[in-house]
This record gives sequence, C-alpha cells and structure tokens, in this order.
Amino acid sequence: MILSRRFVLRGTACAAALGLASADRLALAGIKIEVDAESKALLLRMIRVAFPHAQFPDAPYERTADAAREGAKASPAKSLMFAEGMHDLAEAGFAEMDDAAALAHLKSIEGTAFFQHVRGTVIVTLYNDPEVWALLGYEGASFDKGGYIDRGFNDLDWLPEPRITEL
Amino acid sequence: MSTIAKDEAAVVIIGSGAGGGTMAFELTKAGVPCVVLEAGPFLKPADYENDEWGAFGQMAWLDTRTTSGSWRVAKDFSGLPAWLVKAVGGTTTHWAGATPRFLDYEFKARSTYGDIEGATLLDWPLTLEEMEPFYARAEDAIGSTHTNGRAPLPANNNYKVFANGAERVGYSRYATGPYGTNAEPYDGRPGSIQDGFNFQGDKHTSKWSTAVREIPRALETGLCDLRPESHAVKITHDASGKVDAVLYIDKDGNLHRQAAKAVCVAGNSIETARLLLLSDSNRFPTGLANGSDQVGRNYMRHLTGSMYAWFEKPVNFYRGETMAGIIKDEVGNDPSRGFVGGYYMETLALGPAFLAAFVDPGMWGPDFTNIMDHYENMAGMWIVGEDMPQATNRITLSDTATDQWGLPAPNVHFDDHPNDVAMREYAYEKAEALYKSVGAIGTHRTPPYPSTHNLGTCRMSERPEDGVVNRWGQAHEVPNLFISDGSVMTTGAAANPTLTIVALAIRQAEALSGMLSRGEI
Repeated sequence: MILSRRFVLRGTACAAALGLASADRLALAGIKIEVDAESKALLLRMIRVAFPHAQFPDAPYERTADAAREGAKASPAKSLMFAEGMHDLAEAGFAEMDDAAALAHLKSIEGTAFFQHVRGTVIVTLYNDPEVWALLGYEGASFDKGGYIDRGFNDLDWLPEPRITEL
Repeated sequence: MSTIAKDEAAVVIIGSGAGGGTMAFELTKAGVPCVVLEAGPFLKPADYENDEWGAFGQMAWLDTRTTSGSWRVAKDFSGLPAWLVKAVGGTTTHWAGATPRFLDYEFKARSTYGDIEGATLLDWPLTLEEMEPFYARAEDAIGSTHTNGRAPLPANNNYKVFANGAERVGYSRYATGPYGTNAEPYDGRPGSIQDGFNFQGDKHTSKWSTAVREIPRALETGLCDLRPESHAVKITHDASGKVDAVLYIDKDGNLHRQAAKAVCVAGNSIETARLLLLSDSNRFPTGLANGSDQVGRNYMRHLTGSMYAWFEKPVNFYRGETMAGIIKDEVGNDPSRGFVGGYYMETLALGPAFLAAFVDPGMWGPDFTNIMDHYENMAGMWIVGEDMPQATNRITLSDTATDQWGLPAPNVHFDDHPNDVAMREYAYEKAEALYKSVGAIGTHRTPPYPSTHNLGTCRMSERPEDGVVNRWGQAHEVPNLFISDGSVMTTGAAANPTLTIVALAIRQAEALSGMLSRGEI
C-alpha cells in the first residue's frame, strides 16, 4: 500500500484510476505538518542512522535536521513530500527499531524523494559544519592564518623524506 | 583600460581564461587594441573565499546546462556537467596548476594508436617541435616550477605519501611539479604559503591565473577594453561570410553590438561550441563555421578518477599546494596494458565538504561515514589520462531547456569509450597498489567529477571536412574567426590542458597580429 499512497500524493487522477483513493486517505489521516519533540527526535535518529559518526555530538546533527526541515519549505509540494516521509517513518515504527533494523528500513526507502532530500541536505550541511570539520581534523580557512607554511604542511614524519625533482 | 567604440571594428575576444586572457595580453602587448567580453564579474584575489561551497557559489558557471549519455556525471550532477568558472580569469581561477607538456606521440594520436573502433582519432596539424618554443614561453608566463631554472615546491604531506608509494611500486618519474604556482617570488607575485586553497582562487596570488597576470597587464597597455558581465550570444557576419560583430547581453539583460574585424572565441569547449551553434544564419544554417558538421562533436573530458586512501597515522592532506605532485611513469602508449594512450597520477585533496559531495555521489550509510571518519589520515590522487574522441560525444542546443536569457541551454552528451573504461580500471588498480605499498588500511575509487578539462568541440584539422579550425585555430570557413581555447584540441593527450591552451594562444596571437599587420584580415 505504500506504493499506492505515493500515487495518491502525486496525483489524485492516478489514485482514482487505481480505485485506491479512499483507503489511502484514511491511512494518511494522522499526517502531521507541525514540528514537535517527537518529529524532531525521529528526524535526528534518521540522520544519525544514515550517517553514523560515533564521535559527533548531537548539535551538528540537529543543525542538519533543521536545514532539512527548512529546505522542505522550498515549495508546497516539497512540504507535502516531507510531511509524508516523516509520517511514513513514524508509521513504520522507526523510533523503536534497533540500529540494524533502522538501517535496513532506510535502505528500503532510499529511492524516495524524502530520503534523497534528507541525504542531500546532510551532504551539504553536516560536512560543511565547522564543528564537524574540527572533529574530522580539518582546520578550515587558512589564508588569514598565514597558510600552513609554518603550520605543518610537511609535518608527516612516518615516511622517509622523498625527493621532489625527477632524477 | 581604454574604451573602444561599439561601432569601431575591433578584435573581439570572448572569454578571459587561459585562452582569452592570454590572447588579450599578447595582442595588446603587440599593439593590437582588443575588446574582451567576459560573461562573469571581475573578482579580485581579496574577494576569493577560503570556503569550498562559498567559493563554488561565488564563481562556478551555474547557468542552465543539461546532460545525457551513460557517463555517471549525467546521473549524479545532471545540471552540472562541468566545473568551470564564470569570472574574469575564467577557469584559471579554479585550476589546480599541473603543467606537463603534451608529448610528441600525443600530437600524432591517429598514427600512433591506429584505427580504434568508435574513436574519431586524428593527428594534429602541428607537431611538438613547432610547439616547443611556445611551451617555453607559456611556462615562463605561468612560472611553472621545475622549468627554466625555477625552484620546485617542497614536499607536502600528501606528496610524501604519494612519492613514497611511487618509489615502492617501482615508479621513478615523480616530482612536485611542473606546477603553476610560485615556490619562490617570481614575476611580481609571491611564493606559496601552502594555504591549501587553490580551486577556490588563490588569495595570495602565488598561483598563476589570467586574472592576476594577463588581464591586469593587458589593461596596463591602455589598449584593452575589458567588459565583465557581458555574455556573448551571437556572432554575426557580412555578405562575404566574414564575421563583423558580436552581440552580447549585459548584466541587466540589455543587448549590445560590438563591431569586429576579427573574433577570438575562448568560452571553454561547451560555451564556445554553443556560441557557434547559436550563431546560425542563412549562410551557415547549422551554425557558424559548421559546414563540416564538426562543431560540438568530439567532446573530450579526459579520463579521470580519483583514489582516496587512509592510513594508521595522520596525513592532513588538505594542507599545502593541492596538486604539487605528479607521477609520469604511466604516460606513454603501451597497448599491452589493454588500452592506448596513457595517464598521469597527480596529488589531490579536498576539504570535508567537497569530499562528502564527490567521494562517491549518492553514497550514504556506515561505509560512507567510515571514509569521512578517516579524513585526517587520508591521502588522495587524481588520475588524468587521454580519452578517445567520439563523434557522438557532443555539445548540442537543448530543445527544451533555456538559460537565464531564454536562449537554448547546451546539452552535454558523453559516453565512455571502452578504451576509457579499460584505462580507468587499470589506473585504479595501480593507484591502490601504490597506497597499499605505504600501508593504506582502506581505499576508495572515486568516479569522475564534473569535467574541468573540456576539450575538442571545435577541433583543429588539416582537412576542413575533419574539423572546424586550421593549424592556427582559424576557422576553415571563416578567415577572421579564431577559436582560442581547448576546443581546438584535435585529441586530448594525457596532460592537464592549461599549459597547452596558453602555448597555443601565444602562438595564435603572434599569427593573428601578423595577419592584421599584413592586412590579410
């Protein structure tokens, strides 16, 4: 029925043709559009399961989740897609799944617009977060600090010093 | 800076990157007044941002483009076939800096490789011997390290891993250059401070670009009328078939006409071909200078791929000059490897933001985060090799998509040739072996990025029916129309193209100013 629900949301004509409209409208009766503690926790969990970094605190994940919600406001259609995706996640019992089951569930929905919206947001947000840069060992802007000429551009010491010109 | 009247027939250069910027300087230096039309703004080094996404948003060419074909870029970045710059200086603002010359056999690809099924190989109508003096001048202009007595850059961390690996797998031809960034002060610009920001524009100006050298010097001659945010949209011609003007749109959408006695197109291979296709007329119904039906065809992007590897101990590969490391051992034609042509290996580093976006687009989950978690201990290289020209790899005008001016957007169609696939697989294996030899605990094969080397869409040919321009970059069909960028490349060779684009432009400028002074144009 998940497939048919997508038809409903993407075009009532399709759904009507399939004779599925009334049943799916009932299933969607509980769809939420407001953001509450429960939906925040759900999205945070989704992002953590999809992009697990044991050493990252919640803060950068929360900023990423905020960006995903914000990005979903780009159009009414996107808002609807996002609300439906969150609804499906809750319906599937995602909050109660263990990590392995949660990962498997995400794998099963990776082709959806909802998952791709969240994934794309993570790529351009979580890894563009200065707190994450520091956790990964990246130092960010360097020109204003004089570059790395005196700050370790050549400090690797676990291999021999190589030649720099051809023989 | 001078002002040239719009009704004064001038030499009009379209684009200000490696080709157009060099043309502007060489021609004005020789006393030829030029109008330079640049689609992007005049960004200065102080404007450049030490931030990957920030800089991308600031300078990348993001006008509407579409893609087709089986190449993976069409799936992952369907609207971004190429990663080019829209600003004065063009993609020299973004280029990394590797400056190998083409090799003798690479000018004779058809003769050397023979008849490769599906490939439209040709020999260049010129030779390395003819190019050598222009290569030397281009190296002096760029300040290429390791050439003409210029100092090499020191080994950075990424290079230490790369060079030690090279040594252990038996390569011998490795070095930190030739590279287009000053190791020591040269030509009025300082030596590198190894700040690691390179694709974003070099705020320190140690890296050569036409935005810091050729364009300012052209302006100093008093003969260059530089018009930023001026997007050429049509080249017109007179009754005799010679070009006579360029129409362009300013930032506010107003249309202008600049009269021309000669036009040099240097918009990079996608826009150059597109502009000729947009410049159709009754005389040239399929596009200006396109009687051969070769405009837009034989698009090449270099065989590329990257290898990222991680180790037990820190590398901090993002510190220092990004591409100051090159291995030349795999260049050469040795068909026993299972492919024709060769490739270079060159150091490469990305920040976490771009590594996440490009290491394997679409990838997520624990395998992905495992790569990112090793960021500090990571080394990386780019594989850049010769790809086969194919008639069907092609720039065309979209039937449906339009740009911000309502003009047909370019579509970039690309399919890998079997030779490209074989070379990439072979190169990945060699790169893995190299990193494993110095203790890599993990490696990842990264697919090609949106193209930075865009070549061949108006290729040089001996016979008019095989290409678009002759050995001087002069259109076979239109004597006062010149192509001055990488579009003219008959074949792509393995080398990063910027040095060759500059050398060809120096040569072309000399030829063009001679033709002008002799009254031939």
